[in-house]
Order: sequence, then structure tokens, then C-alpha cells
Amino acid sequence: MLKSKTFVKKTRAGGVLKIVREHYLRDDICCGSEVCKERKDEAPVLQEDACIESNLCSYPHYLIPDTNVVLHQIDILEDPLIRNVIILQTVLQEVRHRSAPAYKRIKDAIHEKEKHFYTFTNEHHRETFIEREPGESANDRNDRAIRVAAKWYADHLAKKTNGGSLKVVLLTDDRANKEKAEQYGLIVYRCEEYIKSLIGNPELVDRLALQPDDQNEITDSKLLFPEHLPLSRIQSGIKNGVLLQGTFHANRDNYLEGTVFINREGEDINEVLLQGLQNLNRAVHQDVVAVELFPKERWVAPSSVVLQDDSPNDEDAEEDETENKLCSCRTHYSNNVLYPTGRVVGIIKRNWRPYCGMLSQSMIKEVTGFNYKVNKVFFLHKKQTNIYIHVKKLRHPIKFHGVLYQDFNAYNLLLIFSQRIDMVPELLSSNLCSLRSNVERLAFSCIWEMNHNAEIIKTHFTKSVINSKASLTYAEAQMRIDDTTMNDDITKSLRGLNRLAKILKGRRTEKGALTLSSPEVRFHMDSETHDPIDLQTKELKETNSMVEEFMLLANISVAQKIYDEFSECALLRKHPSPPPSNYDILIKAAKSRLDSAKALADSLNNATVENFPYFNTLLRILATRCMMQAVYFCSGMDSDFHHYGLASPIYTHFTSPIRRYADIIVHRLLAVAINADSTYPELMDKHKQSSLCNNLNYRHKMAQYAQRASVAFHTQLFFKNKGIINEEGFILFVRKNAIIILIPKFGMEGAVFFDNKDKPSPRLIFDSEGPTLKVEQHTFRMFDKVKVTISLDASNIQHQRIRMALIEPVIPGVSVPVPESEPEAKKPKLDC
Amino acid sequence: MAAVQVSEAEKVYIIHGVRDDLRLDGRGCEDYRHMEIETDVVSNTDGSAKISLGHTDVLVGVKAEIGKPKAMVPDEGYLEFFVDCSANATPEFEGRGGEELGVELSNTLCKVFNNRHSVDLRSLCICPGENCWVLYVDVLLLQCDGNLFDAISIAIKAALFNTRIPKVHISEDEEGVKEIELSDDPYDCMRLNVENVPCIVTLCKIGHRHVVDATLQEKACSVASLLISVTHRGTVTCVRKMGGGSLDPESIFEMTEAGKRVGKALHVPLMELLQKEESLGKKRQKVGFLG
Repeated sequence: MLKSKTFVKKTRAGGVLKIVREHYLRDDICCGSEVCKERKDEAPVLQEDACIESNLCSYPHYLIPDTNVVLHQIDILEDPLIRNVIILQTVLQEVRHRSAPAYKRIKDAIHEKEKHFYTFTNEHHRETFIEREPGESANDRNDRAIRVAAKWYADHLAKKTNGGSLKVVLLTDDRANKEKAEQYGLIVYRCEEYIKSLIGNPELVDRLALQPDDQNEITDSKLLFPEHLPLSRIQSGIKNGVLLQGTFHANRDNYLEGTVFINREGEDINEVLLQGLQNLNRAVHQDVVAVELFPKERWVAPSSVVLQDDSPNDEDAEEDETENKLCSCRTHYSNNVLYPTGRVVGIIKRNWRPYCGMLSQSMIKEVTGFNYKVNKVFFLHKKQTNIYIHVKKLRHPIKFHGVLYQDFNAYNLLLIFSQRIDMVPELLSSNLCSLRSNVERLAFSCIWEMNHNAEIIKTHFTKSVINSKASLTYAEAQMRIDDTTMNDDITKSLRGLNRLAKILKGRRTEKGALTLSSPEVRFHMDSETHDPIDLQTKELKETNSMVEEFMLLANISVAQKIYDEFSECALLRKHPSPPPSNYDILIKAAKSRLDSAKALADSLNNATVENFPYFNTLLRILATRCMMQAVYFCSGMDSDFHHYGLASPIYTHFTSPIRRYADIIVHRLLAVAINADSTYPELMDKHKQSSLCNNLNYRHKMAQYAQRASVAFHTQLFFKNKGIINEEGFILFVRKNAIIILIPKFGMEGAVFFDNKDKPSPRLIFDSEGPTLKVEQHTFRMFDKVKVTISLDASNIQHQRIRMALIEPVIPGVSVPVPESEPEAKKPKLDC
Repeated sequence: MAAVQVSEAEKVYIIHGVRDDLRLDGRGCEDYRHMEIETDVVSNTDGSAKISLGHTDVLVGVKAEIGKPKAMVPDEGYLEFFVDCSANATPEFEGRGGEELGVELSNTLCKVFNNRHSVDLRSLCICPGENCWVLYVDVLLLQCDGNLFDAISIAIKAALFNTRIPKVHISEDEEGVKEIELSDDPYDCMRLNVENVPCIVTLCKIGHRHVVDATLQEKACSVASLLISVTHRGTVTCVRKMGGGSLDPESIFEMTEAGKRVGKALHVPLMELLQKEESLGKKRQKVGFLG
């Protein structure tokens, strides 16, 4: 019998096509059951004795699942226990149309002989084919087709078994379908109902997919984010300039914020700031996104907004703030330039990558993807055990060829607290490349001839073999220098070096080199548990400075040498002068006048306050914050070589090839320069060199982030063990709604927020000129001394953090009473 | 047009017959031959009809496609006609033989039907100035036995009655990019109002009288004929004189009046028939081309 199926289709060109297909109906399609003795071209699939123990169906039966059951409960259907299932062609086609994975799985199940799954081509069976009726939706038609086929089976089996017990059971989760099927005289169950009725197989219930009640389904889903635009719209939008394409970079300090770098030629705007979850719109770091710019009125003028500090404590705000307020959070920008803002309207290319996370119960309402970058690569601070008393610097150049060399195209020195992961194999890094006393080692030396005024007469670079006389720690060396009773050769040469170093340092400082400060903290770790026991700020000894001085000199000499030799492809390091606006905060704080590094250095040295020894350090910490990031660059690609911090016209990294890849490159360049080695093409290609520099800078930055995160983590561990601690601190920054406090003892910063969600906020008056913050009667200025209590807030397991609360000055309603200090918590002691 | 050889004696016989209101096949001067109509005969068109009038067989198919409206009338769709003179109809159409006739027929049909008074062209508009429905009316001559115009016009009216245009709606996004969306239900479609679609009545001047629905022999006796398109209300929408001979004003008037009368009478049973066929729905036994 011939029927025709007619449907209209839209063509790609926009036309409408009426398509007519011939549809042949047959009357010789086998039902696939063993009971049916008609026509046996192929072996029957469905067993006659199809028994499964069930409360609901005590008789042998075949299952007919509808489309939704197959789509959602495929786990159940795949279970070996479920056998003798009739998959209708209608169902199969719909599944195929809607979900390729589910289709594949059901196909696999059908092919498995033991499962006894049978595909019944009901669409081609004369008695089960139905035509779509006027006003009937495609789904309704399919549901009807399923019911008709089920009914046919029921009648057919009854006839074949002469009214025997073999039956069919229709499984559907659709309420309307179920009702209609019942009216039609079918045995029909909901999937859940049926599975739960199976005796002795409770494990199947676990495999049930949770079915949302079909009526709640729609009302429940709230639109959390604006929909992403379809790709075609994005493309046309980018074409006509409405949208901009760029790479999304999440702000690693503030998960509510990100930047899109527009990588298009001739675009005036190359950076778009995105603020708020709605505007970030599910973009993940490094995604290529399409952004829509906001009108100029909505561009950010930092002065008019709530300043949320960009240190980790803005996590504090995360859950505390309401959604709306979140959107208005702004990071602090130190100049008044308006930043273009926008929102993500679509994601052009996802940056797929594995994420790890944890699920905690309903702490966070909507998990949407992690905006933070996962930083793993780290960069090490020198282990204190080896020091080099030879000024000559050192090392046999590490040289890798072929594959191995490729692998080294990035830093991979990793150190998170006392653990370190070396860039080079351990044998090299801690033995062969370390100078040990009385052992001969290959080295790359930089030898200066100096007069007593530490003026360099001659510089010489060479490969060398060194037999070191002694291997000392900084402390040991310091002791020898200080101990007047010791007068052996080593000590004498140490003193000589120290004298020269002092002259060098003096000269450098004269030129305007900065000595900046950052609160470096070292943890004492429990050797068993690796829990931090105590922390202390790093102490710098004279010998540290001595070694540093000669290293700097070596670096400068080498930089000059390789630049002279290879003006196009020398790998150098520069430190750009910060723009004057960066100093605003410092000027406000210290009212110091700064126009050059020298002026800054001088004024820093002079800036001391009676009875406030820590003031100078605080200023230096602030000054450090104003600095630009020092970067590697290729000499052929840049013209400004100046190193601001060291006040040197040229600089590179040469001294630590075992922990910095840049040094290895510099070693190679130097080796070529002194005719000790041959060159290779990549080394001389300034573009390759330049991209290498970019990678180095990027890795370096990531390493710093990881380091900070590690410190933050261990600080938390430390406070976890300590309980509540009262400590003295200084106000480092004053913000609109908070003060940032530096605890010198722990070298940590934290914020004390004055607006609190459960209490009415105290009266806050913020003066950006001071900057001062007046809370009720008390005015906070920068560098004010305060007392705080520090504790670990573990109320949210995912966002454990250090919480600070004000103790002194006492402001009613704001400060907290002094808590019972635990006995071991020492009285605050400041060692500056 | 296909012609038959008619001898002088035959001509005289026919002319005399017509004078006495008795034609070769027994009809009166204003009678049509037996007519059979069936619609929905070609499944892959949007509307189709087949008519046989005596031995004249015509098949009409209507295809609706989305096109751009004409600049002069941005809010209207339009119809296009193509007449295919199949060599089946007569050996003369073989090769390019039927081309001239086809063009002539389609131009005439275009004049008669493609105007807003005949078909509601505004209902074919999808989006003014951008999209409209274009109805391609394809006429296939299967057999020629005179009076092609009348047969074709009736078939076109029936096919337009049968035409079902899929319903579309325009969705517009914020940027103003319009997208045409099709209804998913094949039964959800638009019908055309064919109330005002005219039928063509061709009157042939034979001797001093005129006849409708002339056969080929009668045609051979006629020197001139008048083609009149008439709506169901009897409104004449188009008149065209055909053939080499001349017509005096008085007979033109007479012929027009007769045309109106015949045309009006033609619409009523046609619509009745179409409605009746429609009401049968799927139960109708299709006849098709073998019946």
C-alpha cells in the first residue's frame, strides 16, 4: 500500500519547499516474538517467557518505552536486568533526532543479543501506521503512533497466545500520554513506578534519572544569564562593528570582573572591562568572546563607585553582597581614565580545559563555571643552602638539543613552600651545577679586575673549572665577616668582597636604585605534618646584599656584552619607569615629591618618623605597589632598555640558569659571544626570541600568582591552628567602605569592612583627597596604628578566609570586644 | 492552434446548424460540453486541478514560493503563468511548435488573473517590500479539442481554490534581521479567496450568431472570436478579440451580454462542485489520470 508523506521545509536560501515522499506500508512485518509462529525469516528476538519479578506486573510482559523514557532513562534500559523491550521505530527516530549519544546507546542495546531488544518498524506496518491529523502536533502524533503500536501488540499477542498471559507494558512519563493510553485500554506505567515495583533489584532505582515534574519544569527555570547570541548574529555583528571580538581574561583577584583584549587592527578600543556576573555571561578565562560595548555614560569612572579592594579579601564580599551590588563592584584604578565597559553577548570559541572543583550543598546557588585561572607553574626563590663565595659566575652552560630542548621552552621551576620542583634534573641542579667545597665544577665565569674603589678595569668572560674553597650559608658567611678573631684566607677575601660590594651598592644607590620593601614572610613548617608552626618575616643580612651586589654586576656586564655582540637578539630585562599617576597614592600618603627614581630613593631614605620605625617600611611597601612589572624583552624589538628599579641602563638575567630559563638563553648568547659555542637559528631570530620573552613574562606572572596563593593558603593554615589572635597593624589603604590593614608580624594584609549586611552600616564619610574615612566619630588615615583580631572564617568550606575585626580604636557598634586570647598567642611585637 | 481540415460543405452544415441553435454534438449555442474537474491531483504542488472539457484536457499546478515583491506594489504578491503545450496534445506542438501558443496563452492569463481584483494579492504579502508569496501557475495542455481558454481558466480557478500555502510568520530580532519561520504543522496553511477569480468565456462568431465552447470544427468556421473574462457577479474584467475577421459593434455588444450570462451561470456549479469535493476530504476516491 502506498501512502505519501508530505511536509514543508525551509531551504537554506530562504525558500519554502514542499517535499512529498512515498511511504510504503507492508503487512508482512514480524512482531519479533517467540509466540508468533507466522513467518520466520529471522529468529525471534523477544522471549516467550519474558518474566521479571514485579509487584505491578506478575505476568510475563514486554516493555514499550516512549521516547522520553529512552532519552532520560537510558541507564535503566542499559541494565542487563531489563530485557524483552520493544523499541518502536517512531521512538528510535525521535531519539536519533534529539540526542545522538542516547541513540547510539540504544542502538548498542538493540544489538546486544542477551538484552532481547526488538525494533518494530511500526511506521511501515499497515496496521500501526497513522497519519498526522489536522491540529495535531508532531509530538502528539508520535505519542499516538506509540499508543497505536502498543495496542496492536497487545491485541496481536493476545490473539497469538489465545488470550494467554503475555502482555505489553507501555512506559511513559508523560501524564497526558499515560491518561490517553489508559483510556485506550493499555497497561501503562510511569518508568519510576515500574522500576520501583521490581522485586529484588533495588539497585535499579539508583539508576533512575530524576524526573522533574513536567508541570514545574518550565516555571522553575529562571533565566540566570542573558542568552548567548547565535553564531550568525555574532558574525554579522562583528562585521558591522556592533560587536567586538576579543580574548577574555578573567581578573584573577576579582571573579566578578574580567577584561577582553580586542585583537583587531585599527580599533581604537583594545581593552574592554567587564563587570558583574551578568556581563561576564559565563565566559571563562581565555575564551574568544564577542562583546558589546556599553554607551560612554556607563564607562567606569573609578571615583564614583564602591571600591572593592583588589587583594584577595574581596572574596569577603562574594556571598555577602546581593546580586545587584555585585555588579557595581569595581576594582581600584589609580588613574581617572574612563575604561570602556561592555558585556559578553556570545562565546565564539570556548577555551576548553579540565576544571576541578567541589560540590557543597547549596552554599552557592548557581554554579556557573570557574572564572579563576588555575595557576600551576611556579618560580622559585633561591634555596638558602648554597651560596657562592666566588664572585665569578658560574656554571657549565646547560645545553639541550632536539626534543629535550623543546620541552624547556618554558619555566618549570615550581616551589610551593618548602617543596620545590626543579627546572632541570636534580643531579644537575643540586649537585653538578652547584659549587661545592673542594670539588671541581665546570662553570661559566665573569671575571672582573677591579681597583680598590670597585671600579672595573677589565671584564672577562670565560668557561672555567672551579674548585671552590668553601661552601657557606649566608649566615655562616656573615658570622665569619663579623667574627674579628677569624683571619683565614676565606674570611679575608669575604671581607674584601664585602667592602667592594658596599662601594658598589653605594654607587648604585647614588644613581637612584631603589630599595623597596615587601613584607616577605617565611613559614616554619612542621616536618611531620607540613603544617606551618610559625611565621617570620625574612631577615636580610649583609652577605645577602653582598652576593646580590655582585650578581647584579655580573648581570649588567653580561647584558652589555651580549648586547654589544648581538644588538638585534639579545635577551634583556627592563623595568619601565612607572607613569607619574601611579604615585598618586604614595604622594597622598607621604606627601613626598617624586620625579625620578633617585628622588624617590632619597625621599624614601629620608622619610622617617620619630617613634614610628615601621613608617619607612610602610612607605617602601607602598612604593613597591606603584612600580611597573619588570619584563624580559628582545633587544631588537624594543628601544627602551632602562631598568628603573636598579637604575641601570641595561640589565639581564644571567646568574641563575638552573632556575630561570632566561638565564640559559643568555648563557648561550654569551657562549657564542666569546666563541665558546656555536649558534643556532632560533637563537638569532628576534621574533622567536621576542615570543619567548612574552612566554617568560607570562610564566613569571603566573608563578607570582601561584606564590601569592600559596602564601595565602599557608597563612590560613597557620591561623587555623592558632585560633583567634589579637594583633597590631597599620592602615595601608583607606577605601570607601573598608580599611586595608597590614600586619607587619605576619606580613599579611586584610580588610576590615565597615558595611555589614546584618547590622545597619555605621555612618561613613570618605574623603578621597586624604584619603580618610570617617566612621562615626573616628577618622582613619593611612598608616594609623590599629588593633585587630584575626581569625579563620571556615563557615564556608569553599571560601575559607582570614577575617579581621577591629578592636582598637573602639568605635561603638563597629569594633569588637577583645576576645579571650589564647595563651600561646604572643603579645604583638614589632621588629622593624 | 491546432486546426482541423473542414470542407466547405461541412462548414455550411455547421453554420446552418448554429443558425438554428443546433450544433454538431446536439448542444445549443450557449451550452458547454461535458466537463470533469478534479483537484489535488499532483501531490507535490501546493494546489492542482485537472479538467477535461470534451476532449480538451488541461492540468494546472500551483506552486507557492517566497520571492521579492515588485517595487511598484511592495505589499502584494503576484502570480506567474507558464503554459506548457505538450506534444501529447497535438503533434504540432512537437519541438518548439507550441511555444508561440504557450506564450500567447500565458500572457493572456497573466492579464486576466494577475491583478488585485481577481486574486487578493495582498494576502500573498509576507513582509512588505521584502518577501511575498509568488504563485507559479503551471498549465499543462494534455489534449486540445478547442476552447483552451475556458478550460484553462476553470482549471486555474479550481487549482487556486485547492491551493494551500504554508503559514509563515516573521520573527525579528533586536537588530532587525528578519527571519521567516515555517509552521511545523502541515495542516496549518493559508487558503486563497477565489470568489472573485474570473472565468474566461470565449465566444466564436459563426455566421451571424455566436457560440460558446466551440469545438475545433466550429472554430474552423469562425472568422473571429471574443474572449471575455467574467466574475461570478457577471462583471467583465477583460475582453479580447481574437482571430483575423472583424466584428461589428452590435455583435460585440451581443456577445458580451451572452458572455456575461454564460459566465455567471458557469461559476455557480463550479464552486458548488469544488466545495463538495473538498467536503469529502480524504475519503474521496482519487481518479487521477487513468480515470
